[in-house]
Amino acid sequence: MASHSESIIREPLITGKNITYAQITNDVLFPVENKPNKAWWIGFTLASLGAMLWVFAISWTFWFGIGEWGLNKTVGWAWDITGFVWWVGIGHAGTLISAVLLLFRQNWRNSINRSAEAMTIFAVICAATYIFGHMGRPWLAYWTLPLPNQYGSLWVDWNSALMMDVFAISTYFSVSLVFWYTGLLPDIASIRDRATGLRRRIYSIFSFGWTGSVKTWQRFETVSLILAGISTPLVLSVHTIVSFDFATSLEPGWHTTIFPPYFVAGAIFSGFAMVQTLLLIARKVLGLENYITMFHIESMNKIIILTGSIVGVAYLTEFFIAWYSQSEYEQYAFINRSTGPYWWAYWSMMTCNVITPQLMWFKKIRTSIPASWVLSIIVNIGMWFERFVIIVTSLHRDFLPSSWVMFYPTWVDVSIFIGSIGVFFTMFLLFLRVLPSVAMAEVKLLLKSSSEQAKKKLIEHGHLDKEQVEFYKESLTKYDSVELADYDKA
Amino acid sequence: MESNKKYWKGLEELNKTPEFIENNKNEFAEPIPIEDILEGDGLKAKTPRRDFLKALGFGVGAVSLAACQKTPVHKSLPYLIKPEEVTPGVANFYVSSYDGQAILVKTREGRPIKIEGNPGDLFGKGGASATVQASILDLYDSSRLKNPMQDGGETGWQQVDAYIKGQLTAIKTGGKKIRIVSATVNSPSTQAVIADFVTAYPTTKHINYDAVSYTGIIQANQNSFGKAVLPHYNFDAADVIVSFGADFLGTWISNTEFNRQYASRRAAKALEAGKMSRHIQFESGMSLTGTNADVRMPIKPSEEGIAIISLYNALTGTTLPGSKKVSDANTDKAITLAAKELLAAKGRALVVSGSNDVAVQVLVNAINSLLGSYGTTIDLDNPSYQYKGNDQEFVDFIGEMKRGEVDAVFFLNANPAYDYYNANEFKDALKKVRLKVSFAPYSDETAALCNVVAPNSHFLESWGDENAVEGYYTIVQPAINTVYNTRQAEVSLLTWADAPVKDYYTYVRNNWNTNILSKAGLSGQQGWEKVLQTGFVKAAAKPATAYTFGRDLNAVVTTILSHSQQLAASGDKKLELQIYVSNNIQDGKKANNPWLQELPDPVSKVTWDNYAAMSIKTAEKLGIQEGDYINIKSGNYTIELPVLLQPGQAQGTISVALGYGRTKAGKVGDNVGKNAYPFLALRNGTLQGTTVVDIEKTSTLRYVFAQTQTHNSYEGRPIIHEGTLVEYKKNPAAIVGKKEGKEDYSLWDEYERPQYNWVMAIDLNACTGCGACIVACNAENNVPVVGREEVRNRREMHWIRIDRYYSFNGGGSEPVTKEKEINKLADLDHVSVVHQPMLCQHCDHAPCETVCPVLATTHSSEGLNQMTYNRCVGTRYCANNCPYKVRRFNWFNYWNDSRFENYMQNEYTELVLNPDVATRFRGVMEKCSMCVQRIQAGKLKAKMEKRPLQDGEIKVACQQTCPTNAIVFGNANDPNSEVSKALKSERTYYVLEELNTKPGIGYQAKIRNTTEIGA
Repeated sequence: MASHSESIIREPLITGKNITYAQITNDVLFPVENKPNKAWWIGFTLASLGAMLWVFAISWTFWFGIGEWGLNKTVGWAWDITGFVWWVGIGHAGTLISAVLLLFRQNWRNSINRSAEAMTIFAVICAATYIFGHMGRPWLAYWTLPLPNQYGSLWVDWNSALMMDVFAISTYFSVSLVFWYTGLLPDIASIRDRATGLRRRIYSIFSFGWTGSVKTWQRFETVSLILAGISTPLVLSVHTIVSFDFATSLEPGWHTTIFPPYFVAGAIFSGFAMVQTLLLIARKVLGLENYITMFHIESMNKIIILTGSIVGVAYLTEFFIAWYSQSEYEQYAFINRSTGPYWWAYWSMMTCNVITPQLMWFKKIRTSIPASWVLSIIVNIGMWFERFVIIVTSLHRDFLPSSWVMFYPTWVDVSIFIGSIGVFFTMFLLFLRVLPSVAMAEVKLLLKSSSEQAKKKLIEHGHLDKEQVEFYKESLTKYDSVELADYDKA
Repeated sequence: MESNKKYWKGLEELNKTPEFIENNKNEFAEPIPIEDILEGDGLKAKTPRRDFLKALGFGVGAVSLAACQKTPVHKSLPYLIKPEEVTPGVANFYVSSYDGQAILVKTREGRPIKIEGNPGDLFGKGGASATVQASILDLYDSSRLKNPMQDGGETGWQQVDAYIKGQLTAIKTGGKKIRIVSATVNSPSTQAVIADFVTAYPTTKHINYDAVSYTGIIQANQNSFGKAVLPHYNFDAADVIVSFGADFLGTWISNTEFNRQYASRRAAKALEAGKMSRHIQFESGMSLTGTNADVRMPIKPSEEGIAIISLYNALTGTTLPGSKKVSDANTDKAITLAAKELLAAKGRALVVSGSNDVAVQVLVNAINSLLGSYGTTIDLDNPSYQYKGNDQEFVDFIGEMKRGEVDAVFFLNANPAYDYYNANEFKDALKKVRLKVSFAPYSDETAALCNVVAPNSHFLESWGDENAVEGYYTIVQPAINTVYNTRQAEVSLLTWADAPVKDYYTYVRNNWNTNILSKAGLSGQQGWEKVLQTGFVKAAAKPATAYTFGRDLNAVVTTILSHSQQLAASGDKKLELQIYVSNNIQDGKKANNPWLQELPDPVSKVTWDNYAAMSIKTAEKLGIQEGDYINIKSGNYTIELPVLLQPGQAQGTISVALGYGRTKAGKVGDNVGKNAYPFLALRNGTLQGTTVVDIEKTSTLRYVFAQTQTHNSYEGRPIIHEGTLVEYKKNPAAIVGKKEGKEDYSLWDEYERPQYNWVMAIDLNACTGCGACIVACNAENNVPVVGREEVRNRREMHWIRIDRYYSFNGGGSEPVTKEKEINKLADLDHVSVVHQPMLCQHCDHAPCETVCPVLATTHSSEGLNQMTYNRCVGTRYCANNCPYKVRRFNWFNYWNDSRFENYMQNEYTELVLNPDVATRFRGVMEKCSMCVQRIQAGKLKAKMEKRPLQDGEIKVACQQTCPTNAIVFGNANDPNSEVSKALKSERTYYVLEELNTKPGIGYQAKIRNTTEIGA
């Protein structure tokens, strides 16, 4: 592939001058091989404080009971399942990037897939804590598995969406973990090769004896492709099944056939927002501007605007269907969402998920790092509200008005949620310290064809359409990691 | 593809070296050193077999020793000699009586666990009120006194007896007065005991003191007919009932009986026979009775008398001197209409008033006489003895004490230090008494002021009898030994009077032998045994005769009008206060009962509090919102209460419940709400619950009520179907909107229910919303009490609840039921109410069953939706997916969490738990099981007796206690069962049937007997 050049009008995926394979390794492994900087320590301190808060709050819940949360006889799920769906949704970007974009040969994924996949795994772990945490008797969680037992024909209920959830999430977690780890093997081997002493021995074990032979690479590529094939349906199935928790019920506002596609779009939407939130900071702090470029940021922003719009259409469709159904419960559920006591949650969701992402239509905004970051945070907030709106505002006023209630969270609800963010970031920051945050091996594939320096060489060689070169140069203006002055000389 | 290629594994094979050929013959290329191991150094290794065995031996020994801890001893003592009547696991039922009502006491292994109505009972006919149901918990109440007390310290009975006898002898010599103050005593034996005591100490007088008295009616009957009695009312004989503030379904005189009588003229049978009664209610605060009325007109206390005068005028066509019209034209119209209807129903009409004013009651007597009610709907010849108190007697008694004429006073079931309107005057006067003895089982407000407290036993520990209505005698029989070191008051009195028979059992029996058994044609041992089986004797009722009112009404009218004038609140921030008796904790004597405290008020659905009920318009005028605190001031007495906005409350009035604000009720009842007794006013010789008060908004804080229902309208949803009698007569099916040719489609398979299909029918026209079923269910199913804060968090655990919805008349043909439209209405005073008992619907296509990941909730082959607590992991998905929201989650370990002082944790109160029903662990879901333990017991009984199960043999707890028979339970597979018949009613509908959940509970639509007014 490296032998033939990529069209000049394609934007470069790696920027910077004099980037070599060794340079890439050096850049990517810098945080792994050196003592952490101040920014990392600040982040880690905050994150682990959050994680400790989580430990405290979840222990409190386990000690006293679910009653420590704000739930009641009518609202049986609130922050717990909101948090669960939120975290599972966030995970989806990782899988989409690593699997679907691989199948579609979207090479720009190579720079971001590693972090995104790590994010997936940590997000799914956070989601899983809610599965256990929300149970009245978490010590019996294994009863949700179809284990043979001595209680006669005691079995699980395959009709229950929660049962499907158990399998969806566990499959998702295991496949994601295998995929992620497989991708890590050559990079771990690189660390091993550069390390000495104990580090070398540890990384040696974790590299599974990677030799770097052609055969190994060939098999690596095949396995990646197979795993991508396995993961791709998961992108669609996991959140589809999560949406079944609601769609298969008869609660007005939940009982909707639109949920599967709408949830999948929402998941990708929130996942990309989370990738942005993480990587916009990480690329700066870890000095990865040359590998995670403005092209990546803009591409992800485009996905955000697309999925955000899909979600917006879904919101409107729900309203239309509620009216069209002529079911008074359904109609009331939606009127109540938008004008009832939780109107602020609904309109927060609408604003954050549908309205503000439309700002991304402006190139200035979608190529601005601060704006992208702020918008990504807004999307994260909006998607949390989406789940809150679906769960709480549907439940709190359903069929019998006698049972209508309000839900108010307690400090435990809030602490567990904030704490889970702490747990997530603790894991993510530790990941940055021990494993390469960019898939070095895969980025190196692009150096000869899609890097800025390769393209520059092409320009210097001449033989290119002037208009195309101008177009190319024009496209570089948005990059914060490219010095345009160099081109003026050329 | 075939190939002849040979693949070689190594050069040796290719070259076929001799060694290779040789070795290739062996299975293993190299010899395995088994021999070496077995013979050579193998056994001489560093850890030979012997060492291994030594280590093993030591290890096992050490572990065994370490494990040799003393096994914890659980003492469960078997019967050495099994009592003949006790079989573990089999319940015994004993007859007894509560407040004159015959009951059955269910005991298990010697401890009473449940009270049920006696099917032969005159009042409930098997039904029992919430109060009766809850009274069993008082038996084990750990706030009860565990020993007699003297001067604040515990003592023994001998010391108490010696002390009191000494004192009494001294007092007898001194010749000063002795007084026994008690709540109405209608027990023939207790009366005899008191008589014996009076014989021993001739200066003794017995004073009946009722916290909430009916002196007005008793005195009025004395004035009008020369009979100082409380009549026995027959609401079932009345075609037209007009009530002025009498809450006869809630707290007025004999509510269980009245509920039964009332419903018998409104439920299915009466409807089908075209004999539905008509009920018009005029009242200030929204009472339970008001919620059931066909027409309810809010009216200020000051205008109640005027309204009755107007009714009299309208009935007679004359005008009493000084009459005026009520201020509201609609109310006036309603009075005219009521008069017309009453006249048309002469002899089948009944007018009652809740007033305790003699003058008002005299006028009511005059009206009833006009209508020919005496001898038909009112029986003066077989009077009620439920209340005999005379307010004046107690006032006189205080005078006596003040003058120092009283040397000894005994309080029996009376607590004037709390419930007398002028408690301070009473307390001051009491100081002058030498010997003060209380029989209170608690160290209550009055007992705390006494020298001696001789705690009375609970009625379930006592012998006794009661005579609540002329000719109706019930027996009180103990079902357990005394739980604490208490003694029956009667025994104490007999002891102190040195009576010849001190054993009260013998005393009661003698009394029955001589005086009572003969009234029912019984005698001797046989007669006594029969009484102990039936629980009551009923002498033939005297014929009820007609009484004619013949007195002059001018003086009466003058009194009523002058009272009206005094009551009319004028000026800023002055409101008319109406005091009413709490539906749950009654006059406050039940304040320490957590079941009753947590029972939602049937109207406001508030638990654990009293409040100032105010109409929305009045609150708007005063700038007050719900939950705002106000000071209510009358004379020197002020209380601060939060405001509850009550639809239907008369404008310019507030209502406050009695029974709250106890300071020495016990752990549960102390400082719940505020005491409203001091607002009672002594007028015309009786204590009356109406007065003028000053209102002042105080704190900026808002109180959040612990309410079980906060949304009050049913939003026009087809969960409630209601119609008028006119519509019903035209086409009953139209009321529930039944459509012809409706087809069911289902994705689910039908369940097989070969033998039984347990279902229920609930008649919304019979249900008055009293809440007895809730407490019965609590007792039967060990439902935890969660306390005010948790109710506020919307986590009450009741398996059955009564949904109460308000609707308003917007001028159109349909009632206004949507909140948004209600808010726009100008008239929020005229409100219609519907009560809907809601419990697990045992759906055939239960939404909860399909979503449980672990199959903890499943369908039985008898149509029940079962909850398997042991299997539940607590995802709460089932509760979310339940459209009826009847599932209850154990948020905490209610039976074991020290933060909840639950009756299930206390070593005494836990004895009330039903051993047939498991208590639930934290984190599991629970809900109505349709008393599956009763179903099982019934089936087993039939099986043991080798006969088929009879319809009606199994009664679920809610059904059994319902005084109005609103709930029918049975087997739908049997087309002749009561429930099958009830479900065939054209009024039957299923809540949310459009969801195709196929509920097992069918409701019968509510029918209101409304004509042009109030429709």
